[in-house]
Amino acid sequence: MAANPETMNEKITRFSLNGKQIEAIGDETILKAAERNGIEIPRLCYKEGYRPDGNCRVCMVEIDGERALAPSCCRKPTEDMKVNSDNERTVHSQKMVLELLLSDMPQQGKSPYTLNSELDFWANRYGIYDPRFRERKQPTPDLSHAAIAVNLDACIQCNRCVRACREEQVNDVIGYAFRGKHSEIVFDMGEPMGESTCVACGECVQACPTGALMPARNVGLVEPDKKVESVCPYCGVGCLLTYNVKDNHILYVDGRDGPSNHSRLCVKGRYSID
Amino acid sequence: MGRILDQKALAEVRNLLGDEPRTRDFLLEHLHKIQDTFHHISNSHILALSAEMNLPMAEVYETATFYHHFDVIKEGEMSPPSLTVRVCDSLTCEMFGAHELIEQLKSGNNADIRIQPVACVGRCQGAPVAVVGKNAVEQADQAKIMSAVSSKQTEAELPPDYLGFEEYKKNGGYKLLVDCINGKHKREDIIQTLLDANLRGLGGAGFPAGKKWSIMREQEKPRLVAINIDEGEPGTFKDRYYLERDPHRFIEGTLIAHWAIEAEGVYLYLRDEYAGCQKLLEQELALLKENPPCELPPLFLRRGAGAYICGEESAMIESIEGKRGMPRLRPPFVAQVGLFGRPTLEQNMETMHWVREIIEKGPDWFASHGRHDRKGLRSFSVSGRVQKPGVHLAPAGITMRELIDEYCGGMLPGHEFYGYFPGGASGGILPASLGDIPLDFDTLQPYGCFIGSAAIVVLSDKDSARTMALNAMRFFEDESCGQCTPCRVGTAKAVNLMEQKDWDMPLLEELARAMEDASICGLGQAAPNPLRCAIKYFPEEFE
Repeated sequence: MAANPETMNEKITRFSLNGKQIEAIGDETILKAAERNGIEIPRLCYKEGYRPDGNCRVCMVEIDGERALAPSCCRKPTEDMKVNSDNERTVHSQKMVLELLLSDMPQQGKSPYTLNSELDFWANRYGIYDPRFRERKQPTPDLSHAAIAVNLDACIQCNRCVRACREEQVNDVIGYAFRGKHSEIVFDMGEPMGESTCVACGECVQACPTGALMPARNVGLVEPDKKVESVCPYCGVGCLLTYNVKDNHILYVDGRDGPSNHSRLCVKGRYSID
Repeated sequence: MGRILDQKALAEVRNLLGDEPRTRDFLLEHLHKIQDTFHHISNSHILALSAEMNLPMAEVYETATFYHHFDVIKEGEMSPPSLTVRVCDSLTCEMFGAHELIEQLKSGNNADIRIQPVACVGRCQGAPVAVVGKNAVEQADQAKIMSAVSSKQTEAELPPDYLGFEEYKKNGGYKLLVDCINGKHKREDIIQTLLDANLRGLGGAGFPAGKKWSIMREQEKPRLVAINIDEGEPGTFKDRYYLERDPHRFIEGTLIAHWAIEAEGVYLYLRDEYAGCQKLLEQELALLKENPPCELPPLFLRRGAGAYICGEESAMIESIEGKRGMPRLRPPFVAQVGLFGRPTLEQNMETMHWVREIIEKGPDWFASHGRHDRKGLRSFSVSGRVQKPGVHLAPAGITMRELIDEYCGGMLPGHEFYGYFPGGASGGILPASLGDIPLDFDTLQPYGCFIGSAAIVVLSDKDSARTMALNAMRFFEDESCGQCTPCRVGTAKAVNLMEQKDWDMPLLEELARAMEDASICGLGQAAPNPLRCAIKYFPEEFE
């Protein structure tokens, strides 16, 4: 690693994770350093490239000398810190958080709106299938938008869509309103999405880990038979994208990380092709 | 799509805001103006306010809907009746019949008033308590409440007997501050005095005040001071008690802190439930500013809007900044990155109340009090089944039985001491058999409890720990900010489980453990204390 010219001038922090000595480079968080060292820590509200928010509490780790657990997506290690992500205590919290979130999914099971739910992935990884808690009172679907289906019964309130809309695209349409168990993702002042000032950039759909925000008409439930990497044909910015194709028809479009768009797209690149 | 700005609403908002700043930190203040004027906040006013303050409407909406005291109404929705009667149903008030009172009031055919069960309003010595508009009614019953309604007694009054600015000065007030500013005291000496006196943060965490001040002196300038008067822990009313009697004492303490840490501004955050104190502080701060004993720093009084969580130090800062009161992750600590990103000294109001007296009388005076090897004085807010509920200033380390016998005039007739909350809803519940342990910071942890803000609720054989634990969990469910999973979902699931005839104790313990370990702030971390104590100390209630 030391030979990598991009990182050779960065500060190195040595710490131990699960008894193994590892290094964090520069400003890396515990989660990032762990990932680079092949140690997997579950996460939901964390999304690569976004500001980590530390609200889902799935990625909790134990730090020697600290009373409570810490979110590894936000915490940076310090020299000689002793961190544990897989002992009985941390796994207990990680699993309990997954179970709590799963208990509030439709039918307390897999997301009915996407084949790639991150919650389903982690619940499966930890073998959590039958949550022992009662399901919340579920909100009704909002299918008012031409391009995006809103099913907040699959929402885990990780607030990735808020960060997508507010911090990544600076459209400021999505908010997190009310309080406690009544907290809810809203558009503008609680309007149906289709009546809000949404410009349909689709960033929130791309950000949502559970399919609560998805392309309309359930195309997210179709397995594409190929993915074609391409460049958006509209303006000259040159946003990179991926076409999800089935039977030679474009199902839906994902933003791809490129120098000019960092996985973001606008309404044209996202929704005018499928 | 989107909405068209209503010109009438915009004119109304502009008129209400006058020439006050349009910066984000004034958002709650401005929302209060709309709520006070129209008794609700309509979407057209939110849109107008967002235009006027140059904020996205989603951010104004999410902030307004976070706070209980803002009634946000969409087009076509009924606005609430112009008069709201809030009836407290937290611990002590439930013990004294709040639920029955709420039922009576609701069945009383009062279409023009709204009856709203609310969390602790900080008057537990007078339980049950109702607040008619802004007028607090203690030992409330239907007749008292309806008489206040019909005679339109809906405003908060100034406290009956307080030491005003002139009186306070006559009694030597602000002399110490002036001496400090004129160099008669050294900053290091003042801080050392607080350390020697062992004055600890009295909001609940008990962090030594002197240590906090010296940490602040190591932080970069500019620094700020923020005083927490968001006393919301059920059972706590000591801050109100001192504020209503001697408001300048804590202001002087605060200004001394401001001088000692060389800060550049003071924010006072007062809970909205204390409308009488709001009036009093506005009046007394104006008198102080008119005739300052020395040069004063910028001094702002900010009003909460009904949110227990804003008593959490970082949530209070978010709220002062005009946002949803959601606690921040630490590190960084408030002392490093606090209000408006500046290093901030945040202290509970009562902590500041003691500064002057400790410096005047010397550290030994304060530390000379105490029992059972503990040092200092504690202001116990006592409510429940005792003869003399109220704030009792007693030695740190006093036991529950001593407190009841020596300060509270014993138990109420016909009531036998059964158990107690030593530190409000979050501090857990102890049985009478543990009535002889010293009450102080650090002494209750071995029992799964803490003293917190020293809010004692005394239970008798007529009460049930199990019922009170459920009351506490419902409170946390209502007051959770909704940010993190263990608290937002955990409190709701815990309430579900605790409403069952048979508690699933192993599952509750599994849940409690994750809430304690993985919640962002003290609310979620401490929320399981009462439930764990009920199971541990009152097993006969589950047989």
